[in-house]
Amino acid sequence: MRIEGNFDVAAARDAVYRHITDPGLIARCVPGCESIEQISPTVYRARVSISVGGIKARFNLVVEVTREQPPGLVLSQTRGEEGSRASVLAADNELTLVELDPLTTRVSYASEVSVTGRLGKFALGVMKKKIGAMGQEFADRLREFVQTQAVPPQSPALAPQRAVALQAPLEAASTAAPTAMPPDRIAS
Amino acid sequence: MNTGLFRPASVAEALALLTRLPDARIIAGGASLVAMINARLADPAALVSLARIEELKDITEAPGGGFRIGAMVRHRDLAAETRFGGTLAVVQMAAAQIANATVRNMGTIGGAVAHADPGLDYPPALVAADAKIEIAAAGGRRQLPAREFFVDWYATALQPGEMVSAVHLPAARPGAGLYHKFARVSGDYATVSVALIMVRDGAAILTRAAVGGCGPAPLMIDEANRLLSGDPSAQDLCRAGDMLQAAADPVDDVRGSAEYRRMLIPRMLARAFDEARACTGATR
Amino acid sequence: MSDTLHVKIKVNDSPVALDVPLTETLLTSLRDRLQLTGAKRGCNQGVCGACTVMLDGVAVRACLSLTANCEGQSVLTIEGAVSDRAIVALQDAFIEAAALQCGFCTPGQLIAARALLEQNSNPTIEDVQKGMSGNLCRCTGYNKIIDAVRTAAQRLQP
Repeated sequence: MRIEGNFDVAAARDAVYRHITDPGLIARCVPGCESIEQISPTVYRARVSISVGGIKARFNLVVEVTREQPPGLVLSQTRGEEGSRASVLAADNELTLVELDPLTTRVSYASEVSVTGRLGKFALGVMKKKIGAMGQEFADRLREFVQTQAVPPQSPALAPQRAVALQAPLEAASTAAPTAMPPDRIAS
Repeated sequence: MNTGLFRPASVAEALALLTRLPDARIIAGGASLVAMINARLADPAALVSLARIEELKDITEAPGGGFRIGAMVRHRDLAAETRFGGTLAVVQMAAAQIANATVRNMGTIGGAVAHADPGLDYPPALVAADAKIEIAAAGGRRQLPAREFFVDWYATALQPGEMVSAVHLPAARPGAGLYHKFARVSGDYATVSVALIMVRDGAAILTRAAVGGCGPAPLMIDEANRLLSGDPSAQDLCRAGDMLQAAADPVDDVRGSAEYRRMLIPRMLARAFDEARACTGATR
Repeated sequence: MSDTLHVKIKVNDSPVALDVPLTETLLTSLRDRLQLTGAKRGCNQGVCGACTVMLDGVAVRACLSLTANCEGQSVLTIEGAVSDRAIVALQDAFIEAAALQCGFCTPGQLIAARALLEQNSNPTIEDVQKGMSGNLCRCTGYNKIIDAVRTAAQRLQP
């Protein structure tokens, strides 16, 4: 299934890029994200829970950033499972940032997602709806943060000792974007 | 004991068990729950069976002419019910098209309604018929219009510790009530369904249409009903169909793409409307 | 604390005591514990009808029945119906009409057909189509099954 969408953020592209590649922030913007951990410069482990009616599925995911072209493009792959491999998820993700004007950025996301196993067999239609809704909420939360600098509340499910710190807020005048991600961006 | 199968003899006992065992699930006919267990989508540690609760098993006629259908009434009995005339025929027609004879021997209206699968037959029929869902809780009973009961995908207004005890149908009105279902094969869940009632009240004609299989809950739009009531022109009928189509939020799955389901809505609405017109003796 | 529940049911007229987990289906108990493999696991979702058995005189899906929830009830499988008048008539008619090939759906078809004839002793073609719509067959194309059921119905008339 293809999940795609776009949203506009009232901020410069460089700033949006830095935010959108901050795993600590992403963890708070993805609904149901319970934890995120950086394994290597390009690999993250995350746990995301999705509720469909009475069924709660906890996905254990590994996300690998396969290509980065700051400040406009991030390609990544997600692989994971839930319920001791009761369902298996695989996704190829593309994130593009386009400058509409110096203070407005369009963020476009597209994911080719496959779900097999119990959720793929019996609940695929509704899963698509849920994942689509998650994409929408992610966009809303991210835009809210970038535009207001109000930190989204930490999910109650994020255990305190695994709290992920956000990057220091950017100076408004800062234009330089990092060309390589600093290896240790998450306070453990 | 916190695990196992419990068979209370009363609703009060069942509710007490649900409160005492927050991880327990209710089993009515089992047609939906056991299918979910088999599909590894449910794994209850404890079950509260409603099989012994007598008050849930009857269809009783209300003084005003309506009906109270106990939650454990099987689809088979509702499908064979001869007392649902006029507009209430929509409920009997929906019951008769559920799955197949063997599954209808097992499934119950309470179980179906609480499960709230978007492809089920009762929800749109109950919304069109203006039914009320009777909910039992430790604090007492309440009734909720069907339209407010189906809240989201597989989600209802039931709070933890509550259960569906009955479905209430208003008195039958003269006119027609019908349920049309489009499915890939006989007995499948609906790809799209339309439940329509047309009340002839003297010269006035009131029409209500609810669409099933096209969103998290049955879809009914008051403005569309207004367009369908009275003596709608072809254009009115078209507009009603377009409204429902635009408001639909169907899934994309093996039973049909979202696009296909949307296409079906106005066509099925028109067919149901025409048949109701013919039933009520109205001429175009 | 025991993980299993002690359940007493009747199967083909014999009392049976089983110790089963809460979520074990009647189909699993019949096939795996009692070696009554006539009822088949086709879909395990109640759709295909290959698991159809009688429970207290009513046709049900064994795959959708929890054994623990059948306490005190009476199950009839195809094995227990070998001398049932209706089943014998149906089996003869099925064989004559070639209403089976691989035989996988056949026990379920026979039980469902018997239940149909109990309700309607002289079904039309449409009655059989509707009454047995819950029993799928991938081999015969259904027409032969319909013929066989109607032939048996005629022979069972008093």
